[in-house]
Parts: sequence; structure tokens; C-alpha cells
Amino acid sequence: MKYLLDGDPGHDDMVAFLLAAKHLDVVGITSVHGNTPLVNSTRNALRVVEMGGLTNIPVARGRARPLVNAPVYAPEIHGVSGLDGMDLPEPTTRLHELDAVDFIIEMSHQHANDLWLVPTGPLTNVAAAFIKDTTLGERISGISLMGGSLTYGNSTPAAEFNIWADPEAADVVFRSGVPIKMFGLNVTRMANATKAELAHIREIGNPVAVTVGTLLEFYRSSLENVFGLTGASLHDPLAVAVFIKPELFTMKPMHVAIELHGTLTRGMTVCDYRYVGTDEKRQAEGLDAIEHGETPNAEVAVDMDVPGFFDLLYETLALY
Amino acid sequence: MSQKIILDVDPGHDDAMAILLAAASPEIDLLAITTVAGNQTLPKTTLNARRVCSVAGITGVPVAAGCDRPLVREQRIAANIHGESGLDGPTFAGEPSVPLDPRHAVDLIIDTLMASDGDIMLVPVGPLTNIGMAMRREPRIVEKIKHISIMGGAWGFGNQTPSAEFNILVDPEAARIVFESGAPITMCGLELTHQAKATAAVVQRFADLKTPLGDFVVEMLTFFGSTYKKMHNFDGPPVHDPTAVAWVIDPTMVETQPAHVDIETHAEFSYGRTVVDLDDVMKLPKNTLVATKLDVDRFWDLMVGAIASYSATPAAR
Repeated sequence: MKYLLDGDPGHDDMVAFLLAAKHLDVVGITSVHGNTPLVNSTRNALRVVEMGGLTNIPVARGRARPLVNAPVYAPEIHGVSGLDGMDLPEPTTRLHELDAVDFIIEMSHQHANDLWLVPTGPLTNVAAAFIKDTTLGERISGISLMGGSLTYGNSTPAAEFNIWADPEAADVVFRSGVPIKMFGLNVTRMANATKAELAHIREIGNPVAVTVGTLLEFYRSSLENVFGLTGASLHDPLAVAVFIKPELFTMKPMHVAIELHGTLTRGMTVCDYRYVGTDEKRQAEGLDAIEHGETPNAEVAVDMDVPGFFDLLYETLALY
Repeated sequence: MSQKIILDVDPGHDDAMAILLAAASPEIDLLAITTVAGNQTLPKTTLNARRVCSVAGITGVPVAAGCDRPLVREQRIAANIHGESGLDGPTFAGEPSVPLDPRHAVDLIIDTLMASDGDIMLVPVGPLTNIGMAMRREPRIVEKIKHISIMGGAWGFGNQTPSAEFNILVDPEAARIVFESGAPITMCGLELTHQAKATAAVVQRFADLKTPLGDFVVEMLTFFGSTYKKMHNFDGPPVHDPTAVAWVIDPTMVETQPAHVDIETHAEFSYGRTVVDLDDVMKLPKNTLVATKLDVDRFWDLMVGAIASYSATPAAR
């Protein structure tokens, strides 16, 4: 199985990339607007592959703007560079000649039915690929994404940042019909790297681990200042970790609709928690009258093994 | 000093429990019961309110009928939960002895509040149509309202849709008027009320009273439990509405967190949602005490004690 990572690095995107590169067959990284403007997220993607010695992985530049709304960024969380906390060298690696949308489509042909997309930023690139090539869904195995939430948000009370930043793109993705794994705030905030976990990362001692630990300390202090959180939420690596250690996560099938029209709820992932099985299963269990919700279009993470995840992270960073 | 309240209901099994709790509690001075369309149509909810009062011998509390449909939207009822009568389970013979007050509930609410010293709480446990209508009809009532203890909403999952709770979903525009009014609000949403499940052990406590009203409660909870089992696969029905009364009786029974709450009225999938900013993302004024945790044991002790206090009353069906 091959994996294409799409992100807006961003501190937690960085961790996702580093985690994936040591365990999975990564065919490329595509950048997108999101935590920071595209020029920064693209530069940061290159910085991360250079820092990790991963320059064999191609990096392609993606979309600078959401499909419909104006871009929104998160400098209060990730700093003005999108990866504040340490000055990484200016990258010298060249970008792939294709843009992200064409790169995604090209990879779907090269690795037909053997490719997962792993978006950890706004879903603009992925949606644009679906729009440009309506047969894309027939050639990809699925999409594992960080975004949304069961019931509460961080950009608004109802919406999580990645979905809020491009709700129409999320709508395209969730209506695409391909298998989706969703890692939302409800679980990603459990992957909470406090000062103790960050000290552990730095103590691994190799230059990559020290750099990651230092950068994440900036991110941790931002989240503490902005949201009053006790640690750095390692949102994005979860969408990768599920392929390395699926047993870390409890997934539940649900229908997820993207609210596009709410005055207060735009960008909300409306998760229909009521699904309790197929018609046949409900009948067999005598639950045929139950309010059972719409047919699921996603596997939604509802719980995780937090120590198991951090063990995986430590072991992986020790490999650098 | 007992707290004066007006209880606005759409009975409804859990509304009936709210009436019985409020009328029995010495901490509460029940000024009036007003009815609204919700769990069933207005004629049915009004009849049920009178029936509950008659069965329990609650006399001298006016029962007035209010609005028969939401402010804007099509009417929606919950017959799948409360039955065709709105109070299926117990049987009744003939007309209830408690009469219908001739006033419209909205007028009663306005007149009572305007004549008050600002010492009355409203306890709406159905759709907020009557309260929203009263606020539009006479805006000066807002300053007269001491507090509004609402059963409605959810910050997590809804019950009628994935994101909306029934009472708010039925009349989101009315709910928005109320939440944006500036009156102080306590919101007893599903996260709280789902802690008040009438388990088999709880139902047994009412049966053990061996009183006519205890038996009446058992009949109600048995039907309510059967529909909640069938529709939601719950073991024990959540007795939502009396929690809003319990907060009035003893606020220490309910933990709350101040938050900004507003109502989504324009969305495709999530209209009727109480958008609850528990994390204070928006830095807006905290207009609501959001109920988070119920002292379940004390709540049921209170509820059982209230029903036991009617022991001398022969249930007149």
C-alpha cells in the first residue's frame, strides 16, 4: 500500500510526515494553505523532508486558496512562519514539477487501487482533484484525514479548523463515496504532549528528535496561551498512525455531513452517532424500530490508546 | 422563602414528572402551569397537564393553554416517544376535574411577570414558543424575569437530529429569542438529563411507595421506558424535564459552567442546535449556565420524596 501525505505544516503535520516516512511507503507530500499561507506551508514541507533526510520523497505545491471562502490561517498557533520555534535552514530541494492536484491524480494512476490519501490540512487539494478527475475515487483506496470533531470545534464552537478553513472542499470529500477515516478533535486532543512528553522527545537525543521537541514546545505554549490547553495536541499524526498500529484506535462507522449553510455552525462535521448496524443486523437484534441514522460514509475515531501512541512516536523518532 | 415559578410544559411523561415535583416542593411556589405544543398537539398537552393536576390533587394552580404551533416552522411532535395521547401508559376516565384557565398562556406569563417584583423564575421544559412570544409581545418582561431554567439543547449529540435536541429543534426561532434576550438562563441539556435515567431500580422505588400516585408514576415510566428502549435502545428513559425544576429547588444538585450559547436557525443539517461555547473560542458574553453534572442520587431522592408527599391524595383518574 502507498500513501500520499497532504498537509499545511504546521507543527503537527511535521510529526505526521516524520512518522509516516519511517513506517509507510510514502509516494509524495503535497502542500496546501491552512495553518499558514501556501508559500510557508510549502517551504515548511521542504524543510521537514530535509531535516529528516527524506529528500527522496517528492514535494508538490498545492492550492493557495479554499474552493469558495477566503483563506484563514492560524499564526496564533503555529507562528508567522507556520513552523515557529526554531530557525530551520532555507530549503534547497526543488519542488515536483506537477502541482498537488495533478500530482494526486498522477499518483492515483501509478498506484491504482493501492493508494491512501492522508490529508492533515484543509481538504482543498483533495477536493480539487476529485473535481478535476471525476474518476479519481475509483482508483484510491481511501482517505484518512485529520479534521472535524464529534460535537465541538476550535475555530468556532461548532467547527474544527481544517474543515472550517474550506467547508466546501470537505463536503466534496465526504460525499465522494470513498472509504474515509476521520480523526477529529474529540480524539486528537487526547494525543496531548505535555512538557513531560516533550522532554522525553528531546531526550531521545538525535538532532531530529531535539529539533522536533524544540519546535513542539513553541506549539505547546501557543495552545496553552490561546486555548488554555495543558499540552500540544498532536492532531495530524493520528491519521498516519492508524496505518502503522490500527489497534491504537477505536473507530465507529457514522454518516458525516458537512454543514455549509449554518450561520453559527458552518464547517461543522455533523456526525450521525445513531448508526447501530445494517438493516439485517438491526432486525436480527430486534432493533428494527430504532432511530438508526443515515448509512455511514466514514469511520470516525472515538477513542485511542494514548500511551501506545506516544510509544510509537518515541520509537519512530529514535530511528532518525 | 419559596421561589415563585411559572412552569411551561408540553406533557409529555417527563413534563408530568416536572409538574409533580414542582407542585410538591416547599421550596417552590408554583404560580401557574402553561402549556405549549411540543411532544403532542396543544389540545393534548393541555388536557394532559389538567389530568396530571387532577390525578395528584393539584388545585389552585392555574393551567393555561399557550401557542399551538412554533413561531415559524411546521409543527413537529414526538408521538413515537410519548404516544398518541402524549401521555400514553396510564388510563383516565372522563374529563379531569382541574379546569382550564381562560387566559392565553402568553398573556398570563406577561401579566404575572409585569405585576411582580422581579422575583419570578420561568421554567420552560418544552419548545420555547410561549416564552419567545411573550418576550416579543412585551419586551419589558425580560427585566422582570429573575432567571429561566430551561430543559433543552445539547452541546454534544442531539436526539431528534444528530445535532439538535427536540425542544429547541421544534422552535429554534423562539429559542433564539430567549437565548439572545439577556435574561439569565440555566440550560439543562441532554448531557445533564441523560444522567437522570429511570432505571428499573428507580422505577421500583416509586412502586415501593405503594400509593396511588406512585403507581401512576410507574405506569408513566413503564410506557416512557418502552418507547425509549424501542427508539433509542436506552435501558431506562431519561426523565429530562424535572432536572430544570431540581436546579431551582437546589442549585447545588446540578453543576454548571458559564458559557455563551446561541441557537442555529439557518443551517441545513444543524438548525436547532444550541451552539455552546464551553471552550470560550468566541470570547462572547457568557449568557447561560450550562448544566454539566447531576447529583443523580439526590435527584432521585428528591423525586421519590415529592411523589411520596402526595401519599394522602387518592389518585382520581
